[in-house]
Order: sequence, then C-alpha cells, then structure tokens
Amino acid sequence: MKVDVAIIGAGPAGLTAAVEIARNGLSAAVIDEYYRPGGRLLGQYYEDPYAPADQRTWDGKKEADQLEEKARSLGVHIFMNVTVWAVSGKWRVDMAGGDLPAITSNVLLLATGSVEKALPVPGWTLPGVISVGAAQTFTNLHHVAVGKKVMMAGIDPLSLSVMIELKNAGVHVAGMALPPMSSVTGKNKTPLQTVERLQDVAGLAPNLLVRKLGKFALKRFPKLTASGLRFNLLKVNNVPIHLRKAIVKIEGEKNVEAVTLQSVSVDGKPAGKTESVEVDTVCLSNGLYPLIDLAQTAGCRLVDMPELGGTVPLHGPDMTTKVSGLFVAGNITGIEGAKVAMAQGRLAAASILQSLGKQAAITVDEAMTEVTNAREKAPLRFLPDIEEGRIKMNKIWEAESAHG
Amino acid sequence: MSNTLRLNSSSNKLETIEFYFNDKKLNGYKGEPIAASLLANGIKTIRTCEITGENRGIFCGIGHCYECRAEVDGIPNVRTCLTPARQGAKVFSQASGIKGDMEDES
Repeated sequence: MKVDVAIIGAGPAGLTAAVEIARNGLSAAVIDEYYRPGGRLLGQYYEDPYAPADQRTWDGKKEADQLEEKARSLGVHIFMNVTVWAVSGKWRVDMAGGDLPAITSNVLLLATGSVEKALPVPGWTLPGVISVGAAQTFTNLHHVAVGKKVMMAGIDPLSLSVMIELKNAGVHVAGMALPPMSSVTGKNKTPLQTVERLQDVAGLAPNLLVRKLGKFALKRFPKLTASGLRFNLLKVNNVPIHLRKAIVKIEGEKNVEAVTLQSVSVDGKPAGKTESVEVDTVCLSNGLYPLIDLAQTAGCRLVDMPELGGTVPLHGPDMTTKVSGLFVAGNITGIEGAKVAMAQGRLAAASILQSLGKQAAITVDEAMTEVTNAREKAPLRFLPDIEEGRIKMNKIWEAESAHG
Repeated sequence: MSNTLRLNSSSNKLETIEFYFNDKKLNGYKGEPIAASLLANGIKTIRTCEITGENRGIFCGIGHCYECRAEVDGIPNVRTCLTPARQGAKVFSQASGIKGDMEDES
C-alpha cells in the first residue's frame, strides 16, 4: 500500500494527526500492535478540575472511539494487531502479525508513545505483580479487577491517579508505599523527594491532597512535611499513603501472598523494622520513558534528556526532525498527558502538510500555541521539569540548525 | 458468567464466548484480550518460565514485556494481552506442553 503519510502508533497523537492529515486531503495509514485504537487513552478515566464545567470527566475510551470514528470516516487506513519491525528508505514500513505487504509513504510520523520503567524488587516476577499501566488498562478498559487486595509501590502522579481510578471502580487498595530504596530504583524517590513531587498531583485531586497538606506546605516545607508524616499517616480516598515506608520484598510461592515493607528515614535510609502485609496483588510504578527504537532505526539523532523522561529523538518545536520526511509527536518527544499528545499530533500534521506544500486548516504557529495551552492546562504533570526540558531541546535544535 | 473478578460495568451487553485454557473450558467476552478473560476467571498464571519453571503472568498488559505469552490455536508465543479470543479458541501455557502447576489459584 502507498500512502502520503504513514503513522506509527494509534494513540492520541497518531490518531489526531491522521484525522488532520486526511481532513486536508492527503492519505494516511495508522499502524499499531494493540487490538484496538486509542493507545493510553483507552485506560484513562478521571476528573479534570481545570476543564470547562461540561468537560470535567475525561473518558479516554470515549475520546479514542470518537477519534477512530472520525479517522475512519475520512478514509484513514487503520491497521491494528500488527507490529512494525522495520522502517527504511523514504519510507518503507515492514510489519509482522497480519501477513500485510509493506506500506510505502512520502512521510513517516512516529507516535509510538512510551514504555513503563521496570521496578525490580525481589519477587517481582510472581503472578499478581503488575505494572501500574496494566492496572489502569484492566480496570478501566477490560473492567476486570486486578486482584482482591492490592498494594501499590511507587508514589508518583501516575500511580496516585491510577489508585483513585482503582478505588472508583471498587477495587480494594490496601495502601501505597515507596519503591525499594536501592541506589538504582530508589534514586530521587526518597520520602523527601516524593513529598516535593506531590504538589504536581494537587491538580488531579485538589480537594484530597491540598486539603490534607496544603500546596504551600508542600512547596515551602517539604522536609518538615516528610518528617511529620512519620506518625501522621496520610490518606487519600481512604487509602493509606506510606510516605515513610518502602517495599523491600514480594512474597509468595506460586502467586503473590504478601509484601514486606520497611520504615525509612526522610532521606531514604532503612530505619526501623519490617512488616508483612497480606495482599494478592502488587502494582509497581516507576514512571514512563519514550519509546524511541524506530526513531533510531530511521537514522534520527537521539538526545539524552532526563527532564523529558529519557532519551528522545532530536526534534524542533514544530515536531520536525533533521531526517527529511520524518516527524514525531506525543510521548516519544517527552512524557506528558493525552491532551498535550493530541495537540502535538495536530501540530505534526500541520508541519507535515506545510512540508508537502499543502494548505492546512490550522497554521504551524497556531498549532504550536495550542500545544503550549494544553501543557499549561494539564491536570497532572508526570515530570516536574518538563518545561525546562522543552526549552533545552529547542536550544539544541536551534544550535544544530545554525550549523546547518 | 461466573467470572468473579468482573467489575460493574456496561459489559453485560457484550456477547459471551467459550474458549479453552489448558483444556479447561472458560467463558470470556467477545473482543476482549485472552489475558483479560483469564484474569476474570481468577487465572493469574499464564505460563511457566522455560528456565526456572517458576510461574509467570500478566505484567505490562500492553504487549511490551511478553510475560503473558501462550500458545493460541497452535501458534506459539502469542501475547495474550493483545489478542482477543475467538469462539472455541484453544490456549495452552506452553508450546512444548509444559503444564507446571496450572490449577486455579483463587
């Protein structure tokens, strides 16, 4: 099959870009290995306090269905349950899983999203230990409880929002604890650092978190707050948040039977005895990193940028790359929410249309402003220094452009 | 359906299918991934580790980790989190026939 634009990833960025491209008269194919379009949208269901009154509830599955319907009605080709294993030439996309011939295109848009970082802890291969993203997908998309009693390890914006979603669905969450305090997994995850990060979640559950701690207290006195939380247990949605306990071991013979927690000091040193909590499920959260393999395959330069969540393709603020005909959008450029990804998808489409000499319904500048607006209104920030990361990336981009 | 881990939802309108896991007949909803049907039936162990023999099950749920792979209708290493079952599908823990301790855990 030959199309104008091949898009890899049927998430919020890829689908939005496909709609915009097809709406402006070009042909597009979207490819994804999941069994239905939507990507991370499919698992999302939460209240967004910053949205207009009639749009407070964010039903990601509904958004995904609407995007898919719009794309299909505009003639976008959607290939699901197929894995892209190679991109080459300009461009040829090879796929496995559907006996499909390769797709060729003039433009390639990578909207491959992100992957969860592993959180190794003794016992983590036992059935019943799942990632926080799996918990979200099984709860909100498949409507299957991940277990009868769940302990979550890793206290961050994503795990807190998923905990609230689990509770809303009627799943019993026994508590949340810190990740293991090893030099690898516990880096930047001490009680003090965790408390400092909680202000980024205040937007998600303002009534729950700010009422308990106060945004002011979180910002100005994190150390005091972390110390105080040793005895004064924080609860969110009636779930104990163990800010001074870290997970050290998951126990069980054939399945998860219990989890061992240990008290830690404000700076993450073991302090005090361990305790065992009986649970049948452990949900691990360690954040996300951009899925960049295909960008590397396509010959795009990569830049290590922890502020954006890891190594990302070198890209401009308009979603272009230094490889001609190669564009990026969504979490491959840095870890942010679905609304930012959708705005980036629209921006990538505007840039693609411009590069092909097509008039777009939205200009590149307008689309760039929309991305900034979406970022400002994001209900939760996954990374604390995302703006700084974006600025740094733009500077590298400009320096590279100046040198030709 | 006797799927004990189903959460309240509008899924009641979905069509029920029958499939087999290690020769045991189970129910699932048409269109949902095999891993979701198995979990709804209380089955957490999908395969055993080829090297250690330890139990393995769902981890990432979106096709990245390959921990939930199984033999589906004769095809080995199918990621059950990405693959909906068809009516009458035959799912086995391992292509090599290793059954391990695959009885229900819940």
